[in-house]
Amino acid sequence: MAIASVRWQIFLHSLRSKRGAVELFSRVVIGAVITGGGLGGAILLGVGAWYFVSQGKPEALALLLWPVFLFWQMFPLMATALSESIDSTNLLRFPLSYRTYVMVRLVYGALDPATVLGTFWLVGILLGIGWARPGLIPWAFIVLLVFAAVNMMLTQMIFAWVERWLGQRRTREIFAVLFFLAMISLQLIGPMLSRYGDRSNAAFHWAGHFANPIQAVLPPGIAAGALASKAAAHIALAFGLLGALVLYAVVILRILSVRLRAQFRGENLSEVVDRGKDEVSRPGVRLAWKIPGLSQEAAAVVEKEFRYLSRSGPVLLTFVTPIVMLFVFGLGGRSGGAGFLQNWPELGLPVGAAYALLLLTNLIYNNFGPDAGGIQFFLVSPASFRGVMLGKNVAHMGVLAAELLALWIGVCLLFRPPTASALLITLSGLLFAAPVNLAAGNLLSLYSPKKTEFGTFGRQRASQTTVLASFAIQGVVFGVAAIVLLIARSYQRQWLAVVGFCVLAALAFVVYFFVLGSVDRLARRRREVLTTELCK
Amino acid sequence: MLEDAQLTGTSAPTKVPAVSTANLTRRFGELVAVNDVNLCVAPGQFFGFLGPNGAGKSTTIKMLTGLLAPTSGRIEILGLDFAERTSEVKRQIGVVPEGLALFGRLTGAEYLTFVGRMYGLDRETTAKRSAELLEFMQLANEPRKLVTDYSHGMQKKLALAAAVIHGPKILFLDEPFEGVDAIAAGTLKSMLQRMTARGATIFLTSHVLEIVERLCSHVAIIDRGVLVAQGSLEELRAGVESQVPVAAEAGSTGKLTLEEIFLHTVGGARSAEQELSWLG
Repeated sequence: MAIASVRWQIFLHSLRSKRGAVELFSRVVIGAVITGGGLGGAILLGVGAWYFVSQGKPEALALLLWPVFLFWQMFPLMATALSESIDSTNLLRFPLSYRTYVMVRLVYGALDPATVLGTFWLVGILLGIGWARPGLIPWAFIVLLVFAAVNMMLTQMIFAWVERWLGQRRTREIFAVLFFLAMISLQLIGPMLSRYGDRSNAAFHWAGHFANPIQAVLPPGIAAGALASKAAAHIALAFGLLGALVLYAVVILRILSVRLRAQFRGENLSEVVDRGKDEVSRPGVRLAWKIPGLSQEAAAVVEKEFRYLSRSGPVLLTFVTPIVMLFVFGLGGRSGGAGFLQNWPELGLPVGAAYALLLLTNLIYNNFGPDAGGIQFFLVSPASFRGVMLGKNVAHMGVLAAELLALWIGVCLLFRPPTASALLITLSGLLFAAPVNLAAGNLLSLYSPKKTEFGTFGRQRASQTTVLASFAIQGVVFGVAAIVLLIARSYQRQWLAVVGFCVLAALAFVVYFFVLGSVDRLARRRREVLTTELCK
Repeated sequence: MLEDAQLTGTSAPTKVPAVSTANLTRRFGELVAVNDVNLCVAPGQFFGFLGPNGAGKSTTIKMLTGLLAPTSGRIEILGLDFAERTSEVKRQIGVVPEGLALFGRLTGAEYLTFVGRMYGLDRETTAKRSAELLEFMQLANEPRKLVTDYSHGMQKKLALAAAVIHGPKILFLDEPFEGVDAIAAGTLKSMLQRMTARGATIFLTSHVLEIVERLCSHVAIIDRGVLVAQGSLEELRAGVESQVPVAAEAGSTGKLTLEEIFLHTVGGARSAEQELSWLG
C-alpha cells in the first residue's frame, strides 16, 4: 500500500511540469495502442477458441496458447523500451520482509505491456471457450489463470537470470559462447532440411511426431491438455494436468526466488575483478583512440561509447537479436514448403537491416540516458554538444555497420548471397532511414532524456514521449520507403528505388546536419531538464 | 610527480578578479533561490562559500560553472563574460559538481583519458597526466575496476583528478569533503593546497566548517538567497565581534571560530530546549 501510495504521489507530482503532461499524454496514446492490440488479438483468439471447442477439437487450443506464450516471453526481450524491471536497490532501503519484496516484484512485473496484452488474449480465449461450451468457463478460468501466472513468473525469471549472466564479464563470456553454440546448432537445421528436401513432408511429419509430445509437456501444451481433458470429461487427467501446470508455476517461482533472494540480500552485480589479479596485471594508461576524419572530442566520445556498449550485456544481446530473427524467419513457417525467408531470401538483408535499425533506436533516441550524471561533465566542459552528438552518432552507426556485415554473412550462409540490387536498395534505404532517425534521436535526446542503466536488464526504458515519437517516425520512414519500393516495382525498374532512396537520403542528411548544427543551442536551453532527468 | 602547469595552468598574475558576479539572480517560479548576489573572488584565493541547507550555495555554483542559467545578472570569470565567451571560460576552470559528473562504466584511467581529450589535451599528455593523477590519488591499484564500483571517497578523488587534468586556473568544488573519510580528505586537501600555493583559485562550498576554517583565506555566507557576509576570515570575525562581545560567544581560545561566526551571521543558534522527547 505504501509503495502504491508513493508511486501515485510521484505520478501526481510529475504532472506539474509540461514535460510530465506530455509524458502522460504519450502514455495514454501508447496505452490505447496496446489496448487496441489487446482487444484485436482477444477477438481473433476468442473466435479461434470458439471454433476449436465447438468443432470438438479443444486440444487444438495449443495452437492459440503457444503464440501467446511465445509473445509473452519474447516481447520483453525484443522491446526493452517498453519493458521495465524494478530497481530492487530502491526497495531494499525499507524494512520489507522477503515475502513482501517478492510480492512487490511480481505485482510490478504484472504491469508489463506483454502481461497486459497476454492477459487480454487469454480473456479472449476464455470467452471463446465459454461461448462454445459455457459449462467449461470455471475450469478454463482456473487453467488460464495458472497459465497466466506461469507466463508472468517465467518472464521475470528469464529477465532475472539473463541479467545475472550478463552482469559480469566472466558469466557474459560463458553466455556468449553458449549463445553462439546454439546459433551454430540452429544453422545445421537448414542444410539438414535441404538435404531431405524431396522428403520434406515426410520429414515434417516425423518432426511433428517428435515435437508434439514435447510441446504437450510444456506449459501451453499442458494448459491445452487440461482444457481438452475436461471437455472430454476425463476429470482425473484434467486435474493431473492442472497439477502439472501448478508444478511449473512453483518450480519457476523457486528458480526466480533464487535470484530475488540474492537481490534481497543486497547483491551487487558489478564488474569487480579479483583485486590480487588486478594488481598483478597493472597496465599503464593507454593512449586514447585516434579516428581519422573525426575531431578529437568526437573520437573521444566514440571510444567512450564503444567501451560502454561492450560492457553492457543487455545491449549486446539486443544487437544479436536481428541475426537471431534471421534464423527464426529462415526456419519458421515451413508447412510442407519453405519458410518466409526461404521463399524470399532477397528480403533477408533488408528485413534484418530494418530490424537492426529499429533496435538501435533504443540507444539513438536517448543518447545521454546511459551517461546519467556524466551529462554534467558535458555541460561544464568546453566540448561542444555538436562534437559529442557526432561522436555518439558515429558510434551507433558503427554498430549498425557491424550488424549489417553480420547479417550479410548470415544471409549468405543461410540462404544465398543477396543480389546486387537487393544490396544497393538496402544500403540506399539505410542512407535515408539512418540520418532521419539520428536527427530525430538527437532532438529527442535533448527534449525527452531519461536515465538508463546499461548494466541491468530491463532498465533501459525510454520515456513514453520518446516511444510515441519513435512509433510516429518509424511509421513515416517505413511508409515513405514502401511508396518508393512500390513505385519501383510498378515500373519494374529496381534502380528507381535506389535513385529514390538516394534523393531522400540527400534530404535526410540536410535535415541531420541542420539538427546537428543546432544541438549546442538546444542543449544550453535544455540543460536544466537534462541535469534534472539524468542526475536523478 | 604532478607538474606545476598541470595543477595551475599558466598562472600569470592578473589584476582582474578570478570570479565576480553582478546582481546574480535565479528564480524557480515564485522562489528566488539566489537574489542579487555580488561576489568577488581575487586570483589565488582559497574561497569558501557557506550557507545553511537550501540557502542557494549549489544554485550559485551551478550558475558559475554553466550548469544552470541565471535569471538575471552577470558572471565574469577571469574578466571574461561567461554568457558570451562560454567555451573560453570553460577551458580555464575545473569543476567537481555535486553529482561528480562521472561515467560509471569506464575505468578510472579511461575516464581521465576521456576527460583529457575532451579538454583538448594531446594523447601523450593525456596518458601521462592520467597516470600521474591516478598515482597521486592512490587510485592506480585497481586499474580494471569500473568507476561505478568505486567507493564514494574514490569517486571524489577521481572527480577531483578529472577537474584538474587540464590545469585549470580556477577550481569550483561543490561539497568536496562530504562523505569522504579522513585519508581521502587528506589527499584532497593536499592537492588543493598545492594548487593555491601555485596561484590557482579555489572556490568551494562545504558544510564542514572546521575544514573551511583551516583551508580558506576568504569566505562568503549566503542565507535565503542573499549574500550576508563576504571577506577574509579576520574581517568577518571583526565584524561579528563589533556587534557582540567576544566573551559572549567565543570558546576557550578567546577567538571566534568560523562556526560561531557562521551561526551568528545566519542566526542559526538552536535552542537546547527544542525537543523530540519521543526519541528517548
